[in-house]
Order: sequence, then C-alpha cells, then structure tokens
Amino acid sequence: MFAWITTLASRMCAWLSPGHVDREFASELEAHLDMLTDENIRRGMPPEQARRAARIKLGGVTQLKETNHELRGLPLIETFLQDARYALRMLQKSPGFTAVAVLTLALGIGANTAIFSVVYAVLLKPLPYANPNQLVSAFQANTQEGIPETGTSYPNFEEWRAQNHVFSELATIDFHQLTLTGRGEPSEVDTCVVTPEHFALLDVKPLQGRVFFPEDGKRGAPPVVIVSENLWRGTLGADPKILGSSINLDKRPFTVIGIMPASFRSPFINSKPEVWIPLVQDPLFGSWMARRGGHWLAVFGRLKPGVSIAQAQAEMDAISERLASEFPAENKGWTVRLVPMQKEIVGDVRTALLVLLGAVGLVLLIACANIANLLLTRATSRSKEIAVRTALGAGRIRIIRQLLSETVVLGLLGGVIGIALAYWGVRALSSLLPDNLPRVNAIRVDNFVLIFALVLSAIASVAFGLVPALFASKSDIQSSLREGSGRSGEGGNRRRARSCLAAAEIALAMVLLVAAGLLLRSFSKLTSVSPGFEPQHIVKAEISLPQFQYSKPQQWTAFSDQLLAHLQTQPGLQDSAIAIPVPITDGYINLGFEIVGVPPASQSDSRLANYVSVSPEYFRVMQIPLLSGRLFDQQDITSAPAVTLISKALAQRYFPNQDPIGKHLNFGFPPNGDVSREIIGIVGDVRDTSLGDAPGPMMYVPFAQAPFWGANLVVKSTLSTSVVAAAIRQEVQKIDKDLPVTDVGKLPDLLDASVSQQRFRTFLLGLFAVMALILAATGIFGVISYSVTCRTNEIGIRVALGASRSAILRMILRETLLLTSAGLLIGIPCALIASHLIGHMLFGISANDPITLAAVAFTLVAVTTLAGFIPARRAMQVDPMVALRHE
Amino acid sequence: MSADKSDILQGTLDLMVLKTLDVMGPVHGYGIARRIEQISEEALQINQGTIYASLVRLMQRRWISGAWGTSDNNRKAKFYSITKAGRKQLNAEAENWERISTVIGRVLRLADRG
Repeated sequence: MFAWITTLASRMCAWLSPGHVDREFASELEAHLDMLTDENIRRGMPPEQARRAARIKLGGVTQLKETNHELRGLPLIETFLQDARYALRMLQKSPGFTAVAVLTLALGIGANTAIFSVVYAVLLKPLPYANPNQLVSAFQANTQEGIPETGTSYPNFEEWRAQNHVFSELATIDFHQLTLTGRGEPSEVDTCVVTPEHFALLDVKPLQGRVFFPEDGKRGAPPVVIVSENLWRGTLGADPKILGSSINLDKRPFTVIGIMPASFRSPFINSKPEVWIPLVQDPLFGSWMARRGGHWLAVFGRLKPGVSIAQAQAEMDAISERLASEFPAENKGWTVRLVPMQKEIVGDVRTALLVLLGAVGLVLLIACANIANLLLTRATSRSKEIAVRTALGAGRIRIIRQLLSETVVLGLLGGVIGIALAYWGVRALSSLLPDNLPRVNAIRVDNFVLIFALVLSAIASVAFGLVPALFASKSDIQSSLREGSGRSGEGGNRRRARSCLAAAEIALAMVLLVAAGLLLRSFSKLTSVSPGFEPQHIVKAEISLPQFQYSKPQQWTAFSDQLLAHLQTQPGLQDSAIAIPVPITDGYINLGFEIVGVPPASQSDSRLANYVSVSPEYFRVMQIPLLSGRLFDQQDITSAPAVTLISKALAQRYFPNQDPIGKHLNFGFPPNGDVSREIIGIVGDVRDTSLGDAPGPMMYVPFAQAPFWGANLVVKSTLSTSVVAAAIRQEVQKIDKDLPVTDVGKLPDLLDASVSQQRFRTFLLGLFAVMALILAATGIFGVISYSVTCRTNEIGIRVALGASRSAILRMILRETLLLTSAGLLIGIPCALIASHLIGHMLFGISANDPITLAAVAFTLVAVTTLAGFIPARRAMQVDPMVALRHE
Repeated sequence: MSADKSDILQGTLDLMVLKTLDVMGPVHGYGIARRIEQISEEALQINQGTIYASLVRLMQRRWISGAWGTSDNNRKAKFYSITKAGRKQLNAEAENWERISTVIGRVLRLADRG
C-alpha cells in the first residue's frame, strides 16, 4: 500500500516537471556511455569503435528514454491528452456530426442538471438549521376517523413537553397575518405565532437584540415582537433605535426586542415571515390556549442526541395513552405521530419531483442511444482507419481507449454546454415553479449540482461510447483493409445493435409520451371540472379587522353590513357578498357536528363537514343552486332563530331517504361550538378544498349569525379588476382609513393558481416527452437512412431486375415499421408500469387509459414513418446504373 | 511477450540490483551493470540500459536513493545506494527467492527420477 502511494507520488512529481527528469536521465545515460567507451578503449579498441560498441551494449538510447519517461510519468494521462487532442481534430473534421451529438447531449445534460438542482434543493439539501436530523414534527392522528395528521391543542402540547424524556425541546408554530399600523400605510404582515422555545430549539441567533425568553410566553407578560431584517430595512426604515421601541399589530403596541437575519425562516412556512410574536399575545390563537379540544397547533421538536425517532415515538405513544384516559372527551382515539421534519416539509412534492427526474433521465438515455447510433455509423466508416492502426500494432485496449477518449471529449463538450443550458434552465424553471413548492428559494446551480452534471456527462459519454468502441475494436483487419470504400458492407452484429438502439429509443419515448399524455388529459379534466360555482367575472378581496380594536362580534357584523350596503349602491358592484372561507382559494374549515336527536351509530361514524359563513347574496353571486327549501335572507340575524344550509353531499350522506329540512344540527365555530341550527335548505355541492377533490359535506351559516373579524368579499362585476379593487378600497377606507385591502384577484386566476403544481409537472413532462419524440424520430431517421446508403447496391440490383419504385418504398417503410413495432412492443408494458407509478397524480382518468395509449402509439407510428419516409424516397430514386457502377 | 514472464524477469533484475547495492555501497548505473555481468561470470549478457528501468522502479518505492557525484575517473554520474526499507525488502525477497528455488530444484530432481 505504502509502496503504491510513494510510487504514485514520485510519478506525479515527475509528471509535473517532465523536462527536468528527462534531461537528468539523458545525462545519466551519457555518463554511462562515456564509462563504457572508456572501458572499451582501455581494452584496446579505437575510439570510434569503442563508442559504437558501447552504444550496442547499452541498448537503444531513444527506447530507453521512452521507457524511462513512461515509467516515471503518468502515461495514462499523457496518452489520454494525446488521444483527446486527436479526438478534437477528428471532431473538427466532421462538424455536422459533432454539432448534432454535442447539442443532443447538451440538451439532455442541461435538462437533467436543471431538474436535479430543483430535486437537490427541495429534497436532498439538509434543512438550514443546526443538526437538522434531530428535528421532527409531531402531529395528532385519529385512525378511526381517518385523520392521518393534524395539529394539537395548547394544553396537550404542554403535557407532551412536560412528560417526555426524548426531546431536548418542543415548540409550536402557527401562522397568519396581522395588521401593522402607525408606520406608513397600514399593511398586513406575515406573522409567526410561536412558543418562546422556537428560536432556541432551532439554534438561531438574532441579528440584533434577543430571542424570546420563557417569561415572554407567560400569561400577563408584556407584548413583545421580533421583526425580520427585511421588515426592519423596509417598512421600518432601518430605524437604528428600533430595539425597545414599539410597533402596532392589530392596533396593539408590541415592544421590539430583536431582529432576525433575512436568511432565517421558520420551518413549514413558505413565505418569508416578517414578525414573530409569542403565542400568548396572539389575538386569534392566544384566546384558544385554554381549550384542550381542537387541533390547530403545529408542534415540532429536537430529539436528544442519540435518541432515535422510534424511541421517541414509543414514548409519545405512552404519553398519548395517558392523555386519552385522563381526558377521554378530547383525547380518546387520538395518537401522536412523529415525522422527520425534512420529510414533512417536502410532503407529496417528493413523488412529483422524482417522476420528473426519472423522465428527464429517460430523455438523457434516449439522447445517449442516439449518439451511440451516430458513433456506430461513424465507426463503420472509420473501420479502415482502425484496421490500419491495428495493423501498425495498436492493441485492442489501446483502440478502445482512443475511441473512448473521443466520446469523453464529446461528453465533456456536451456537459459544458449543458451546464450553461442548466443555468438558463434553472432561471426559466424558477419563474415557472409553483409558489407553494417548499424550499423553492434554495434552488440554484451550486457546486454539488455542477459535480452532478460533470459526473453525469462522464457516465453518459462512457455509456454511449463503449458499445461502438467495443464493436470497432473487434473488427476484422483483413476484411476491413480489403474493402474498397469502407461502407459497402456492414457487420450484421453492428446493424443489429443499431436497430436495437433505435427500438429502445422508441420504447423509452413511448413511456414518456404515455406519462405526459395521461398528465395532460388529467390536467385538462381538472381545469374543466365544474367547481360547483361560477368563477367568471368574480373578483375576490380580503379585509381583516384588527382584533384589539374590533373585539366584539357586533362590530364585525356592523362593519360587514356597512361595507356591503356601501358597495351595493355602486353601479356595477351590486352583486357583492361575503364568505369566509371562499372555496379553494382560502382553504377550508372542517368542523364536527351532531344531528339533534340522532346519536352517532358507532365510534367510526365521523360527522365532519366544511363550515362556511356567508352573507345572503353569496349563493346568487357564486351561482350555487338552491335545490330545496330557502336561502338565507336579511331576517336571519342574531336575534332570529339560528339556521343553516347544507350541501347535497351532506344531505345524501347523513339524511338518506329523508327530508332534512326542518331538522336541527349542532355545530359552530369555536368558541360557540354547540349551537343548534335548523336546516332551512339544501344547496348544490361545491369543490371547496381543491379542484381535484370530490365535493364533501358542507354546512353554511349566515354571516350575521356567525361573524368573523374580517370579511372576504366576492364581487361579480363586468368592470375590470383594478376598477373593482379601487372601489372596494375606497369604500373600506371610508369606514376605517387604517384597514388594508389585500389579496385582490380574479377568481378564475386564483383557481388557476391553485393547480400550479399540476400545471408545472404537466408542462415539464410534456416538454420532455416532445424532446424524447424528436430524438427518437432522428434516431430512426439515422438508422434507416444509413441502411439505405448501405443497400444502394442491392436496391440498384432490385430495380434493375424489375422491382417497382413503390415496392422499394414499401421495403424501406417495412423496415421502419418493424423497428417501430419492436419499440412499441417493449414500450407498452414499460409505459403501463410507469403510468401506474404516477397513478395517484392522475385526476379523472385511469392509469390504463386506452385512448392515451392508442393515441401515443399512433403518434409514434406516424412520426417514425415520416422519419423513415425521407430516406425511403431517396431509395426510390436510386438509379440502377449509378448504383451498380458504384461498386 | 506475456506479462507474467516479464514480471518475473523484472523482479529478478530488481533483486539483483538491490543485492549489488547492498554489497557494494553507493555505485552508479554503469557500475551496477558491470558488477552483475561479472558476478554472473558474463553468463547474463544484458542490455545494460535495462537496469535503468529497474533503478526507476526501486527509486519510486524508496528502496534505493540516488545522488549525483563524481566517479573514479572524474566523471559526473548518479550514484545509487540502498535504503533501510530496501534492505528489509532485500532480505524478505532473498529468503523468498531461496525458498522458491529450493522447491523448484526439488521438483525438477523429482521429475528427473520419474
């Protein structure tokens, strides 16, 4: 081992200063010769003869120097450089081939590198916190109710924190917006609501000031806030005396105690938080802290060193069992589930990204097959050159090495251009990426990605270079040298290899096309599905009321009544309504309910429905049909009997074969969780969680009976969005000049944005499939046109013997079709496997969709026939005289 | 030429060079070549140049070291001497060599009798 290292070291040294070593050896040999000559003279030879004899005795000086050079230096690298120089010359000599091969490869490598940079940033890069492997998320789960993971309540969190021995710390995080006033225009700031241990757990230091202390989380503590560097430098004007001064959040003063660096982000939050406040100070969540029921708090923790997640899970199982027996009303049936934080953050994006990476890998494979094909063709026409080399004494390994050097040069060229493409591609991707993709800010071409690209191009070049090199080195010298033109005949093996490559390309292209076709069809179904309401011409806007100022529900109702009344007097804005939440764009509120007089049949009979609070005009504005009964009207106010409207799905699921109208449901938004409401009507189903999810049971309540501290407006108007937005702003500020209007947008655009991830992957996979199709078509074109060239003689003879032009055409096209069918035969089962892998990404379409399969097969046959038709036409025009004379 | 054969020859020559340096102390390439020819009573007629490959290999393994100096008749030449590691290697190899040659000799005698 040691000897090996010292050898290499001394070789490296010699290689780095070759001239010196060679010169030294030359003078050593010179001395040797002189001594030999001296001795010969001493023995009585004349000087001339003595010198000659000495030379003979020593051996060929040049040879010796050569051997010495090889022994001392690094011959492998030297011959590679020599080969590489030669390869560059060869590539220069055929610029067409070089351009096609390098570009094909650059596209493949560029696309792979770009996608890999996304995969790396989102899936592989460790989270930007100290010891990220120790970080886990903790959820409550209820298998009986089919709830895989949800938040917990603050009292439960306190028990977890106090009773466990496996976490060095546990903390919680929630997120919403508060209104910042008193510093310029009123604005909504993204707020992280945390328990004080949040920062210590993540082991982050503030830019200035301090993080929260445990005392800051106690009831009655003075309200404090930590602001982000961005907010400090922006809205707060980089105020140097910001620490200790106060800012108003929801009209309540908070003392600024720290500034977090711009690079810091809290986990699970995709947008950049601007302020952090202790949970106890939050106007919304703070009021829920005493309730043990409820699942709204996101918990995460840091495992103690050496504690595995399984150990922690076992401990949390024990704790949740204790909690279930201690507080059965709130905790029966609930367990705790721990998930590594990285996995939780990445979520279901993982599969989509891996599918894309797989797809782009297939594109590279096709590109490699294509280049291998080109190289095989070239190797055939170069067989004479190789035969000459072999005849002059080059060993098989040496020939393979030289041919591989050429492909490595080709691969590196492709790699370099590919990396340039990747830089551009990552930029293009970043603008395409859906906003809700986690960790999207970390995406870029960094060193790790560059290494990936280089390794990839090296592997690719060996992959496409090895087969042709092996074939070329095996060629029979005798026959190659004897062949006149070097192209009249071609080994059957080589031709078979080329046909196999072409068929494989078609099979791979088929896989990609089927996957892309399925995604495309499912996407078009997704975007054309009826959401149950009519989004056309609807503008949505959000107004949030600061809770410290608007603390009473009466104020909320008064505000919304006033706003709607004002808006409805404006021309073009009569169709205005309020809803919280607005379907799809706002998320959903899922609440339990009871049917008065009908106890649940069993434990597993979960009575859950999505809850919406709306003003009476909502159904008219959104065109949600009334199926029976009546809608809300202006008389459904707090003093009137509590009422509700249910969706068709709720009626069918919980009131089969009976009329629900007149029956009562018990439910409500916390803290009024138990209000008995009479069902007064049934309305149509709405896809309120996402376009892709089937409509579930829903229950509506009149906003006047269940108001919120804010209003989400939906306005149906043929006026432009900006006019509507300006009118809304004007009306809102007439009521309260400190209220910001946020998230103004057209509902169709917002629905569009809700499927941005699906659009992103469909677009990319489609792009890759088109690349694959083009590459496969050129592959077929190459094989067929080369085969026509090789068969010029044969075709000439056939024509001379009376074969018709159309028979020749048919012959060539048959060859094309044979290749295509072989490709399809392999491709169809592979495509079916692939489509099952992406099965869960499909909407409204089966993974075995025969229409997609047939369409793809037809496209492939059509495109490859076209690709074969061009050389076939050339074959048709072969002049028998010319062809025969050619020999 | 097959690889095995040249390997044996290389190893043999290396061993002879090491032994020569061990016995003679610092000596130049020509001196080593002469010495090997003399010891073998001119039976081993080598191209003297071939010992240089051997010297390079031994240098690279740090079994010998080399330094420029002046020869008896006032010529500049590179003098080689065996290192500590080289002496260790020589002992091990020499033992190995003797064992092998004894075994081979025994086998050949056996074959003669058979």
